[in-house]
Amino acid sequence: MDGNYVTLIVTLAVWVGLFIFLVRLDKKVKKLEKKLK
Amino acid sequence: MWWKTLIFVAMSAVIVLSFVTPAPQQQIGDASRIFYYHIPLAWICVIAFTVSMVYSIRYLRSRRIAEDDKAADSARLGLTFCVLAMLTGSIFAKVTWGAFWNWDPRETSVFILLLIYGAYFALRGAVEAEEKRAALAAVFAIFSFLTVPFLIFVVPRVMPSLHPSESIVNRQLNFTMGVTVRWIFAASIVCFTLVFLWIFSLARRISVIRRIQMEQEL
Repeated sequence: MDGNYVTLIVTLAVWVGLFIFLVRLDKKVKKLEKKLK
Repeated sequence: MWWKTLIFVAMSAVIVLSFVTPAPQQQIGDASRIFYYHIPLAWICVIAFTVSMVYSIRYLRSRRIAEDDKAADSARLGLTFCVLAMLTGSIFAKVTWGAFWNWDPRETSVFILLLIYGAYFALRGAVEAEEKRAALAAVFAIFSFLTVPFLIFVVPRVMPSLHPSESIVNRQLNFTMGVTVRWIFAASIVCFTLVFLWIFSLARRISVIRRIQMEQEL
């Protein structure tokens, strides 16, 4: 497989992982904010 | 939620396009694709340090501790993006110049910047009294920021450097990139900026929660 496509898949995987992490963190923060209100 | 979906789709599109379109600089080859990530990371680093400086000034004017929290959050993000820019830069250096680190003026000036902002956090960690820490850190952040334009924009341009200096615009301020490269690069800058704003807003909200919890514990 072309090295470019391997790098593309790795970069996409890192981005998807970061995005999921941020969405989950956002939800946790929202929950905590509600709790503190 | 719609803007998060938009960021996700846009960034994914930038990633795909950065690898399936021809390399931005044909003479360098595929390694030049890192340009779509390295420059936006460095750009965010400058933005984050600017935001930190602005909140430091606001703290000194208002003496509200929330402003100091925001300045620290932004400097923390700036430092993180600076490290990422340095890592991507050293990958490019290894491929094109044969070594991860060459003490090139730009590499050296970014390293000095990392040390300066590292000292900012050392200072924050060394002072226990909250108001004194905030005031000292604010003054330090303002003076640290004065070095940013000098180290990032001036030093690498006045000293001979291995770095490609005309990868975006030439000395006559004309674009040196092709139209496709320009669009992908612009989209990448916008996406990275939006991701930074999202992370910064999360960091800010977490700081607020932490402070409320600390006050409740007292």
